[in-house]
Amino acid sequence: MRKDLLKYTALVLLAATVTSCQKVIDVDLNSGDPKVVIEGGISDQPGPYHIRLTRTVNFDRPNEFPAISGASVRISDDAGNAEMLTETSPGIYTCSTLLGTPGRVYTLEVSADGEVYTSSSTLPDPVPIDSLTLEDALFGAGKTVNVHFRDPAGIVNYYRVIQVVNGVERKDIYGTDDKLLDGTEIQLTLFNQLEDSLVNGDTVDIRLQSIDKISFEYFRTLAQLTGSGGPPSDAPANPISGISNGALGYFTAYSVKSKRIIVR
Amino acid sequence: MLIPAATLHAQTGSGKFTLSGYAKDANTGEELIGATISVRELPGTGAVTNAYGYYSLTLPPGSYSVTAQSIGYQAHTEAISLTKSVKMDFVLGQAENELTEVVVSSKKQNENITQTQMGVEKLDMKEIQNIPVLMGEKDVLKTIQLRPGVKSAGEGNSGFYVRGGGADQNLILLDEATVYNASHLLGFFSVFNTDALKDVTLYKGSQPAQYGGRLSSVLDIRMQDGNDKNYGVEGGIGLISSRLKVEGPIVKDKGSFTVSGRRTYADLFLKLSGDSSINRARLYFYDLNAKANYRINDRNRIFLSGYFGKDVMGFGDNFGFDWGNATGTLRWNHLFSDRLFSNTSLIYSNYNYNIHIKYGSFQGDILSRIRNFNLKQDFSYFANAKNEFQFGLNSIYHKIVPGAITIANNETTSETNMPHNHGWENAAYLTHKWKPQTWLNFEYGVRLSSFSALGPGSFYTFTPVGEPVDTTSYKAGDFVKTYVLLEPRFAVNYIINEKSSAKLAYGRNTQNLHLLSNSTSGNPTDLWIPSSLNVKPEISDQVSLGYFRNFRDNMFEFSTEIYYKDMRNQIDYRDGAQLQFNETVESQLLFGTGRAYGAEFFLKKKQGKLTGWVGYTLSKSEKKINGINGGEWYNARQDRTHDVSVVGIYELSRKWTVSGTWVYYTGNAVTFPSGKYEVDGHIVNYYTERNGYRMPDYHRLDLGVTWMRKKTERTESSWNFSLYNAYGRENAYSITFEENPDDPTRTQAVRTTLFRWIPSITYNFKF
Repeated sequence: MRKDLLKYTALVLLAATVTSCQKVIDVDLNSGDPKVVIEGGISDQPGPYHIRLTRTVNFDRPNEFPAISGASVRISDDAGNAEMLTETSPGIYTCSTLLGTPGRVYTLEVSADGEVYTSSSTLPDPVPIDSLTLEDALFGAGKTVNVHFRDPAGIVNYYRVIQVVNGVERKDIYGTDDKLLDGTEIQLTLFNQLEDSLVNGDTVDIRLQSIDKISFEYFRTLAQLTGSGGPPSDAPANPISGISNGALGYFTAYSVKSKRIIVR
Repeated sequence: MLIPAATLHAQTGSGKFTLSGYAKDANTGEELIGATISVRELPGTGAVTNAYGYYSLTLPPGSYSVTAQSIGYQAHTEAISLTKSVKMDFVLGQAENELTEVVVSSKKQNENITQTQMGVEKLDMKEIQNIPVLMGEKDVLKTIQLRPGVKSAGEGNSGFYVRGGGADQNLILLDEATVYNASHLLGFFSVFNTDALKDVTLYKGSQPAQYGGRLSSVLDIRMQDGNDKNYGVEGGIGLISSRLKVEGPIVKDKGSFTVSGRRTYADLFLKLSGDSSINRARLYFYDLNAKANYRINDRNRIFLSGYFGKDVMGFGDNFGFDWGNATGTLRWNHLFSDRLFSNTSLIYSNYNYNIHIKYGSFQGDILSRIRNFNLKQDFSYFANAKNEFQFGLNSIYHKIVPGAITIANNETTSETNMPHNHGWENAAYLTHKWKPQTWLNFEYGVRLSSFSALGPGSFYTFTPVGEPVDTTSYKAGDFVKTYVLLEPRFAVNYIINEKSSAKLAYGRNTQNLHLLSNSTSGNPTDLWIPSSLNVKPEISDQVSLGYFRNFRDNMFEFSTEIYYKDMRNQIDYRDGAQLQFNETVESQLLFGTGRAYGAEFFLKKKQGKLTGWVGYTLSKSEKKINGINGGEWYNARQDRTHDVSVVGIYELSRKWTVSGTWVYYTGNAVTFPSGKYEVDGHIVNYYTERNGYRMPDYHRLDLGVTWMRKKTERTESSWNFSLYNAYGRENAYSITFEENPDDPTRTQAVRTTLFRWIPSITYNFKF
């Protein structure tokens, strides 16, 4: 909740510096050795689950990120189950036999170009959504969704919310932990960019994910870099990674509950 | 063995008598700070009036020609036959327009040569009137940044860096009260209304022992006392704000008061808009300075001064954000004898911000505050013409509320208070100003300071990766941790001749309040934390060497200073640090060292139709923090290789003055991406080294014209026109790296410029 307050404050502070002009310029940036980027996870919903492997590119290149083929990707849990993933398309490795189970710790091992990258994530128990309500958006004529759910008392919970509008997953990163809110009925408002307000007739699916601390820290710091997290930082840094050996990206084990609302 | 004071006086009096008194402005009765009192027959002997305008000079009996002078005033000479201790006040009239080129005792206007202190920048309040600044608002903070060694933190930011130190390493004092956030409107203007000020002095790190608390500088600002002869009104109407000052005697020649206020009205224009997303917006600031003083008798005088200012931003009743400082100082000047001057001050300072959000059924309020209570006792003992001692005590109690949050959501209300921080800061100091020869002056001393973190509260210790290890609870009044620090200060001036001198200074400074901020512009929600179990006091050692030379009978002043500063226990943050509303915020901090060094050059023309100065600084500022940049040295954000300021004021005639300012500086060290990648459909920047890149160079020309429409002895009215950024350079406020909105297959670098040509008009009046 306090993240929302801060984000809101930040939006208005930014809006205050409005009398400025912007221009695209050329900046001479260093090139670096390409780094490995890992994206994917395992959930308590039936699979298959996908892990995507790509590399970084120099900033002035087009946004085509080379897929890493021929890597060895393995997911295992702490109950003796494991699977070696198969590459179903360039850079995409699929896991088809495992089913995510709350309470288990899942480990990802990626072996590519002679380097090994590992990450572990705990799959928490699911938390259901109580209800979804609609509010008028703060600016403009659209609407905003509020997600209501009750946080289990006595344990530390981390949440991530995915907003899917008319079948398309929105990129904004929403989430909260339960500090200051443990055991209470939490309301999370999913603020949108002005041009992305919800309009009447939109079908909105909300997925409430329960994630572990490492995943939450990753998405929180990723949000700071992608603009969902507040004013630009003095010293931007790479998101806090849960993957070893300098790999970027994330591996997250989560449980999820969904609900749908039609905007009227 | 106890010697009665009177006998003591008579004993040292055998051969010596004391000449003492005040230097004042002839029109208003304002005491003049830093006026020099010199004796023609005894060159090299002299005194400087203190912060209350008082001087004391003990000389052998004889006939003397004593001259008092101060910048902007006509010098005044009195002939005196000193046969007993006597009080003599000097009343100085304002200097005429430079046009008349009055060469009055200009030989003695070489204070920069003779004063022992180096690394000092003193602002002439009259000069500030003519320097063009943004929106026509005269601003002491912006003007001090035009001096060498002082760097602006950038547009939209009234923070500043002194000799490579951070923006929180400057102690800003208004009548001895600490001002925690000296900016209005998110940094576009400072909180100081120039009308209310009498003296502004900046010490760049080698400050005398009476000052302490921050590593890099002390900005000592004194308010005017008020005209004790006549009532007066002064003010101005500008494009963005207006101001009004009222002053006058409480009892003629015995007491006076002054009240100055200022408010912006940009928000009134917003209300005229038809767009509801504009006309419900609130954006304004106001401030008020007030002071009163009364001379009870020859030996006692009391002062009461205060400042109150507030910034408000908001949108309807959905959102409100306000912040502000309040300070109050109660002082008592007492003369124990004509050679022992004492000042006792009781000081209060408060800074707080409030955020209010209301959205549907949800309502949240956040409050944060830092407050201190301060008792200060200062003595000046003017032993004789060669020896002066300053000593005293200072005790400050700090109370910080990092954040109190109240959330109301339908039926449930929850309240969370971040634990409060309590600290107690104490200091005792002694300074000896010693002139063993007329050509050799020393000023040396020591400051003994302590800081205690106090309960009540829970205090954590952490592992190196920031996980809490241990919590200990303390009750109110418990001493959790006490640091005791010794800060020696030393300055020596070797006066080669009346035109030139060489100076050397060394000083150690410590700092126990640390500002946590990780946003690009000083944010009102930046958090102050005290030293504690995990956070040690910051310590700096600075050594500086300078050469001072005047030309053409003091028409030109030249100086160059080189310095080296070493800083320890410097603070930086983990990647992705969470500084707000974090009970264990100390776990987010990383510690290390810093170092800064540079050379400053300054040339000033003080007389003639054209006056002004050129300043140039060549410098470096670096940090080495455990956990950042692999533990290697990296450029501090404020590292700027070159910094140039040129200020020119030209008096065309009695009625017209034109002025110009040109600044140029190397950009800040910044962190830019070295690559990019994709996660969840986002194009994410990839960062390698910290502060490995540079913002583009910044330069800007400001022009101003002042038309003195009418000026008589009692009234004045003038128009001021100014143009900020006269050639419209698109200086970079920020450079961001983002997805190209028109072409999703590419990313781009976007430069944001805040201000191009900004004209303004101000009408000023005085009667």
